[in-house]
Amino acid sequence: MNNITSEKLQEWSKAGHRTIMGETLYMLAQERDNVVVSTADLTPTARLTKIRDDFPERFFDVGIAEQNLIDFTAGLSVEGLLPFAVDMAAIVPMRCAEQMRVSMAYMNLNAKVISIEAGVRFGPLGNTHYAMDDIAVVRTMPNFTILCPADPLSVHKAIIAAADHEGPVYIRLTGGPGFPVIYKEDFDFQIGKAIELKEGKDVAFISTGCQLAETVAAAEALEAKGISSRVIDMHTVKPLDKDILDSVFAENKLIITVEEHSSVGGLGSAVAEYKAGFSNTPRQIIASLGDKFQEVGDHKYITTNAGLKAPALAALAEANL
Amino acid sequence: MVDKDTVKLIKERCAFMRRDIIEMGFIAGGRGAHFGPALSCTEIVASLFFKVMKHNPKNPKWAERDRFIQSKGHGCLAYYSALIESGYIDKDQRKTFKQDGSHLPGHPSRDMEHGIEISSGSLGNGFAIACGMAKAAQIKKEDHTYFCLVGDGECNEGLIWEAAMNASKNKLDNMVAIIDRNGVQLAGKTCDIMDFDLVSAWKAFGWEVTVLKEGNDPAVIVETLELAKQKRNGKPQAIIAETIKGKGISFMEGSLNWHAGVMNEEQYNQAVSELEKA
Repeated sequence: MNNITSEKLQEWSKAGHRTIMGETLYMLAQERDNVVVSTADLTPTARLTKIRDDFPERFFDVGIAEQNLIDFTAGLSVEGLLPFAVDMAAIVPMRCAEQMRVSMAYMNLNAKVISIEAGVRFGPLGNTHYAMDDIAVVRTMPNFTILCPADPLSVHKAIIAAADHEGPVYIRLTGGPGFPVIYKEDFDFQIGKAIELKEGKDVAFISTGCQLAETVAAAEALEAKGISSRVIDMHTVKPLDKDILDSVFAENKLIITVEEHSSVGGLGSAVAEYKAGFSNTPRQIIASLGDKFQEVGDHKYITTNAGLKAPALAALAEANL
Repeated sequence: MVDKDTVKLIKERCAFMRRDIIEMGFIAGGRGAHFGPALSCTEIVASLFFKVMKHNPKNPKWAERDRFIQSKGHGCLAYYSALIESGYIDKDQRKTFKQDGSHLPGHPSRDMEHGIEISSGSLGNGFAIACGMAKAAQIKKEDHTYFCLVGDGECNEGLIWEAAMNASKNKLDNMVAIIDRNGVQLAGKTCDIMDFDLVSAWKAFGWEVTVLKEGNDPAVIVETLELAKQKRNGKPQAIIAETIKGKGISFMEGSLNWHAGVMNEEQYNQAVSELEKA
């Protein structure tokens, strides 16, 4: 972070997660000889052109062959390199679920998978290009860590944290051009340790990925109405930060989990599974894309329809407190 | 030409390995075992472990070792028996094959202390991983060779061809794929299940192909594999080895019934008797 200026953050905010990822991987490749990056015919889309040109011996395009992308990456890891596979969220965890499970998770390899355009960012391209189920798929795989960074600096820090973490990591990237900045200054990004952005006693919002900005706005609107609202950035969906959840169970009246993902198997499910082990916990509502294919439109249209914008989140809290 | 002593040694090792395979398969009892696909590749695996590959059972993680990856993981009894006869795995571990809590399951599970490089058996994946491993060696400028044993039925998998095209694109001439062409897969003969020209296919995907007509003859196997190992011509090598499914046990040879099966005591006694006489 030392060299991430506020100008850079503004540039990244304007550009969105692909550029942040491409530049961060480039920095890692510069700093570490063992970093290898592979993709499946997405080099320009994933902003990997500069890595391809400057590190040709450590960059690979395997062609439109995602299953092999994962196994090839696994093989690089078996021999001690630090490989990153980069591809589309709509394709990779689903089509390559078995390769991620058998070739990465089962052998507990030090391999990283980064998905771009998770959720419904690819709006106009239609449902074939939406990733509403990737957290659900990867969450079933033992040993995998799942990171869903919420803003430009978080994306950068999540990728570096994944590089420093021994074991398989899935990084789910949301947040396109106009990616709101939440973290304006350096902060401590620790895998498995959620960040409490705002204290509050009534509702606790637990958000993952780019919906955090909407969540913060919802909390601010509620505060203005006298409803005390807590906001937690659960950037690590697996393993969950159970300490912070324990405090939510003890201190808050209502939990709203927020994610650009299906209501099945994502952050909401993960929290509910943990919560199921306790009695007298607050009620939980899962704000998500629901359990359905979406009506096609741009990102704003779909997430508004799903009730993921700040006014809807605030109304949801008000109606259920 | 491979010298007579080498051939004799490999044949002796194969006899021990077949005995191990039958013992372990019988111990598995009602849990069954993949006898046919282990017996078809016994000579190939023995030739690798006892002659062609550079490796050290006392130091399984030796960085300069050649690597063996059994992508057709269901044939693991051949692999385990080679590891037992080489000294990676204690002989008394045979009795644990497929048993509760065993480290020797029906498909290999990565265990570097005992010479098992990767987990395999979900078909197609072992080969694709091996190609990634071979690329890593190139990046690190290491000179060892990757020998990957692939099933002929396994070549039905699309992933094999995704990895094959990527291997030739990357000029993985440190990679030798040995296709165990025993002609039988789970549900029948490979020519009935999915008939296609393996030789042309591997060539079309950019591999240099050698057809090994005598895939159960150690002299021919060693000569072919050593030649493939020495080649560093920018092309990955595919050895299509024509073998006999269930080789060495009369009632299993070429049989559609012994891809996997449960062996009764009478069959076990007959198998042991045949191996003793061989």
